Amino acid sequence: MNLYFIKSKDFNGFVKSLIESKKVIGPKAKKHKFVFERIESAEDLRLDYDVTILPPKKEFFPTTQKLVEFKDNQYNGCIAPEEKILFGVHFYDVKAIDMTDHLFRDKNADWNYLANREAATIVASNVQKVSDRAFFGSVGTEVKAKGHDAFLTKIKDGYLYEAITTKGEALVKFGHFEKGTDAHKREADEMNCAVMKKCPESLKHSSEEIADKVRKTFSNKEVWENAAHDCFSCGSCNVVCPTCYCFDVQDDWNIDQTSGLRSRYWDACLSEDFAKISLGAGATENFREHSADRFRHRIMRKASYLNDKLAGPACVGCGRCSSACTADIADPTKVINKIMELR
Amino acid sequence: MSKAKVAFFDFTSCEGCQIELTNYGDAAFLELLNHIEIVEFREAMSEKAAKYDIACIEGSFSREADRKRLEDIRSRAGIVIAYGACASTGGINALKNHQKDYHDCVYQKDAKMPHLASDKALPISAAIKVDYSVYGCPMDKYEFVRIVSHLLHGKTPVIPNYPVCMECKRNETICRYDSNDHCMGQVARAGCNAKCPSDGIPCEACRGFVDQPNESALKKVLMERAHFSEERAQNKSRMFTANLRSDSK
Repeated sequence: MNLYFIKSKDFNGFVKSLIESKKVIGPKAKKHKFVFERIESAEDLRLDYDVTILPPKKEFFPTTQKLVEFKDNQYNGCIAPEEKILFGVHFYDVKAIDMTDHLFRDKNADWNYLANREAATIVASNVQKVSDRAFFGSVGTEVKAKGHDAFLTKIKDGYLYEAITTKGEALVKFGHFEKGTDAHKREADEMNCAVMKKCPESLKHSSEEIADKVRKTFSNKEVWENAAHDCFSCGSCNVVCPTCYCFDVQDDWNIDQTSGLRSRYWDACLSEDFAKISLGAGATENFREHSADRFRHRIMRKASYLNDKLAGPACVGCGRCSSACTADIADPTKVINKIMELR
Repeated sequence: MSKAKVAFFDFTSCEGCQIELTNYGDAAFLELLNHIEIVEFREAMSEKAAKYDIACIEGSFSREADRKRLEDIRSRAGIVIAYGACASTGGINALKNHQKDYHDCVYQKDAKMPHLASDKALPISAAIKVDYSVYGCPMDKYEFVRIVSHLLHGKTPVIPNYPVCMECKRNETICRYDSNDHCMGQVARAGCNAKCPSDGIPCEACRGFVDQPNESALKKVLMERAHFSEERAQNKSRMFTANLRSDSK
């Protein structure tokens, strides 16, 4: 890893030359919220964002993704990776991308995701502003952010750029960087440590304690029915989650009725039809028929089921689900802390 | 493949859903005509037909006298599609169903004229068997073409049973509740790509409710987050979903 420093006054110049030669995706303002979008001018890039509406995984796994185009009996896959730089990704989203990388590579490698992922360079950046519902300081703290190519931290008078991979190193030539020092690194580390203590919400127990207790609460009907009482089964908590990766596949014919498209769409296990399956001859069965079953399933997936596979919980504490839930019941800290208090 | 014969009919409605299909554009509409033959369509032609593969029925069932005509259409049709909000859920017409004095308010001295008499506005499924519904006010022409395409290929069209919220999130639309507004997207059937919230307008659930709407949570959220009075929160979902509310059953 090499350390570089760039002065504040030179930073926009760096961004400008990057966007002139590469496709750069970064946090941009959308009214009073933020979204990851193409950065067209250095001023658009808002590294002071708190959290984006959707996580950056949409760049590898779009909300609607073409899989196969067909005409008569001919068909073609739609994998067409495009080189791009994901700039300004917070560490919790880096952790989540590392998880979806693992999940999409596991067993049957999903090249519709992986091809896009491999064509991307990820420049992470420090959290300058903590969002209202964040709890990243207390969830899966044993899981470190990895898989990014560089890490940028805003420090006094400028930015420390830690080039982690050759892809990250390759961007240094676009700006007036000087060598970073140990003092810069110390300052950056202190900033990144301090922000962990600034979350408005927190879990009170270790990942193992939570995984164990949540699992043991599986059959406690009362807990889940109470938790899901106001649930709309709207799936908002799933759709905004950086570690959710379920999708539905649908075919559509073009108007000529001989050609068409197979696409996949982000799906949500909170929605009523998610677990509805065919029994043949037009009959169906729903193995998570009640909203409490579905609510429990989500918490199990985030706090317990995937822990062995991911070496930690499938939750990074971004707080997107908490703020997306209009009934305000999705907040993992509230659900889990309550379960942990059960005798 | 021989062309499927398609016919359009209207009952209590504004016929706007039929007009919406013609908004599909000349090129696309004419392309569609390579695959279907329109055999009855009052908005565009005067011919009649004896049999139809697909009958698209617009409008709600709001007069007992209409039952016979609906049954006649059903007997001539292979597939019946409830076409638009009025036919599929009763639509905005059902807003009158819980009221008694609307005749006097609307027509005043003419209130007792016999041709103005009507019963509760119901979906056409209250009179005949419906195979598929194209929801929405107006119906979405792209969804209609998708449904017809699936039927032409002998496939079952997939119509979302998840709420509009999911489409807003996929579109990264700022939630109306985060702009100090209200919305019914949490209980409204998706499939419209959440156009209204993306234009800054609350969802009114014109496509009806999802199969299991959480009505009590909607009332609570309208009161707590949108600061509605209890009465307003209670009545909010009457506009397009009066027949789907638990108090209508």
